[in-house]
Amino acid sequence: MREEHYWYWINNIKGIGRKTVRDMITYFGAPEEAYKASERSMENFLKRSVMVDAWRQSRNEAIITGSFERMRQNRIRFLYPLSPDYPEQYRNIPDAPMGLYLKGKLPEKGQKSVAVIGARECTRYGQEMAAFFGRELAKSQVAVISGLARGVDGMAHRGAIEGKGYTLGVIAGGLDRVYPLENYGLFLEMEQCGGILSESSIGTAPAAGLFPQRNRLIAGLCDGILVVEAKEKSGTFITVDQGLEQGKEIFAIPGRISDAKSVGCNNLIKLGAHVVTEVQDVLDILHVEAKEGKNNNYFELQNERIVKMSLAPLEKMVYSCLRIDSKYIDEIIEDLQAAPQEVCMALNRLVLDGLVDETACNYYAVKL
Amino acid sequence: MYNKVLSGALHGVEGKLITVEADVSEGLPVFYMVGFLASEVREASDRVRTALRNSHYSLPPKRITVNLSPADIRKEGSVFDLPISIALLAAYGYIPNECLEDVLIIGELALNGDVRGVRGILSIVDFARRQGIKTVILPYVNRKEAACIPDIRIIAVKNLIQVVEHLTQVKELEPEPFVQRHCNTEKLFHEDFADIRGQKMLKRATEIAVAGMHNLLYLGPPGAGKSMAAKRIPSIMPELTDEESIEITKIYSVNGMLEPEQGLLSQRPFRAPHHSITAQALIGGGGNPKPGEISMAHRGVLFLDELLEFPRNVIEMMRQPIEDGSVTISRLHGSFTFPCSFMLVAAMNPCPCGFYPDMERCRCTQPQIDRYLNKMSEPMIDRMDMTISVKRLEYEELYGEKKEESSKTIRERVAAAQRLQQKRLKSLKLLYNSQIPGNMIESVCGLGPEEKLLQREIFEKYELSARGASKILRVARTIADLAGEERVLSGHIWEALSYRMPVFGKGGERL
Repeated sequence: MREEHYWYWINNIKGIGRKTVRDMITYFGAPEEAYKASERSMENFLKRSVMVDAWRQSRNEAIITGSFERMRQNRIRFLYPLSPDYPEQYRNIPDAPMGLYLKGKLPEKGQKSVAVIGARECTRYGQEMAAFFGRELAKSQVAVISGLARGVDGMAHRGAIEGKGYTLGVIAGGLDRVYPLENYGLFLEMEQCGGILSESSIGTAPAAGLFPQRNRLIAGLCDGILVVEAKEKSGTFITVDQGLEQGKEIFAIPGRISDAKSVGCNNLIKLGAHVVTEVQDVLDILHVEAKEGKNNNYFELQNERIVKMSLAPLEKMVYSCLRIDSKYIDEIIEDLQAAPQEVCMALNRLVLDGLVDETACNYYAVKL
Repeated sequence: MYNKVLSGALHGVEGKLITVEADVSEGLPVFYMVGFLASEVREASDRVRTALRNSHYSLPPKRITVNLSPADIRKEGSVFDLPISIALLAAYGYIPNECLEDVLIIGELALNGDVRGVRGILSIVDFARRQGIKTVILPYVNRKEAACIPDIRIIAVKNLIQVVEHLTQVKELEPEPFVQRHCNTEKLFHEDFADIRGQKMLKRATEIAVAGMHNLLYLGPPGAGKSMAAKRIPSIMPELTDEESIEITKIYSVNGMLEPEQGLLSQRPFRAPHHSITAQALIGGGGNPKPGEISMAHRGVLFLDELLEFPRNVIEMMRQPIEDGSVTISRLHGSFTFPCSFMLVAAMNPCPCGFYPDMERCRCTQPQIDRYLNKMSEPMIDRMDMTISVKRLEYEELYGEKKEESSKTIRERVAAAQRLQQKRLKSLKLLYNSQIPGNMIESVCGLGPEEKLLQREIFEKYELSARGASKILRVARTIADLAGEERVLSGHIWEALSYRMPVFGKGGERL
């Protein structure tokens, strides 16, 4: 067995947790020593007979190398603190992961990275903002890191993929567990144009308790944390707290004060987070050069597109009364006092031109 | 002595001629009835004998044989009481033979000799007329129904004695005058589209759907007015023609659903079966098959509220009938065909709680919504030509002062559009745009180069199937008809795009 096998083994003993593994490595010096330790010394160290049994039974070379090979065949790489591409950033965090599983690749060394995070239950505003920032940051060669969850996380990844940049998803469960299932397609894409990282062994179900650990990994890897949308109490703040402890920059996108789903963001701003109203705000603080001119202000981008499209008068009117949140077609008709058929026509044309999204049957919203 | 009387029976919704023969001869006194009879027809012997005695006709004890022919059709129902008794009286010599020529007799007897009403009169009388029969004697309560059929003498009778006196010309009865169907549609509808406030899109979509007889699906939260709009659809449909009215009345008559003394139905039917309905009740069925809800909605509207609550097998049963406009039911005693060309209107919630995409109210998660919408099966989606979201109105909109368009105005537009369609589709033997087959639709629409380009663009952008694309064109055709345009222009296609089906299972995104 090689060194990586011993590290792989020590991270995969059923019944022995992360903390014990860490202690075991410190106590014995290296996983190999722990593998080859005498019964007596292990009993001395572990104290509990259940754990000693677990240790004893796990030492089966055929099984260890077999499952390691299977993992490699599934294009999953195993990283441990001594491996050359183990992320530098993790060496400095307390409770550093002893083993990591990776599909795809990690951000390049020296590449700036931003965690774009937020609530799973988000509004369309949150979704669109996440996608927008994901896309624009990716265009400026900033790595976009997030948690591959529902809502903001997934949209941030999608945005980054659209911007043809690098994006990393850090998940709570094993790499073979797709959660949530609706992101299945996204998982496949992430493997191609980014990476998926997890601390959990292959086959681990994404249990609730694993998510704070996952958040610690996100916070550890990035240079700044951008909170897109979060309620007053949200799992997002675990990441933010971890990030603060590790001295990362915290960014927040302001929301309406009447919107319960933006209270968390607004509170962050009150506490001193950087207010972000355009991508340049993030780039400035991270000292990143914008790659594509100054095209990263939302309003400027919008206006530019409309001018380029040369819309008909009615289309312009319809477009101007659309918002980022979905609007029912009757409300548009009511606002404009126009005939339903005219409004339908304008809306469908705008949808086909890619300026407007039909979010649900007969509900429309502007697209970013 | 031998004698015979003509009578009629129901076969599905159509009539059939039945000859009732009676023979009285010497021998042991028995009452034989033959001719493939159901038990209620067999029981006629007791009713007839008692009714005759109570009407003071004495029947000396003889050997009586009654035959209902043709013998290979099963006879059901109580319409044969009266013809059997008349045939018997003729055989006993009370009525001369020649009085019974070209007379068709129908009716059930009470024990005291009164004639009771029966169901399915309209079908039988209509059939009799086409067979060249001059006179029909039928129960008094059914006279209005029968009087709608022209060119035939209707004699309505209250009891057995009247029949005999009429036939023997002792006391002849006046034939019922032919009633021209007249209806004042304005008075008929209690529900009017003017009752619906705002909801411009809902009204527009409904108008288009009715104009082309496109099947329509409403998506919306509870209380948004889906059922309210559906109930008002008959009020904007063009008035029934005489022929249509007879078709509908026949179905209702066969099901025994006409009010006593009711004439032809003058209102298009609106049927809204509950979702606990069985397949047989919806399609039609029973040992002696009767028309189901789809046939009762013939020439009208079948409204399926809470579409997803209907058992899938029940919905799938409707596939073939919707396409054919008729349903054939085969049972032990033969197969029966019922007409069922109706407009299908369905309503459902967009998510389990009903409020999606109103995020302030909707408490469903995306997977929950997907799971809910996935219940919508492919065949159901296929049947729906148009979909429209409905949103609950705010207070001001509900109680504003604005004047709304009445059903009458809409109906005039719909009728004009339908006339255009029928003129165009006459050569194809079709009535409505929704019936245009997929391979003909492009030629019927007469797309120009600009429209063809747009169609291609749409086809690619929305990844439409061939079926989805022709649905959009059919709706566009109707929109053009409403606008009075001969060719379908790009504007019509653009609008039709708003009524296409969402892709279910993807969170309500559209195809």
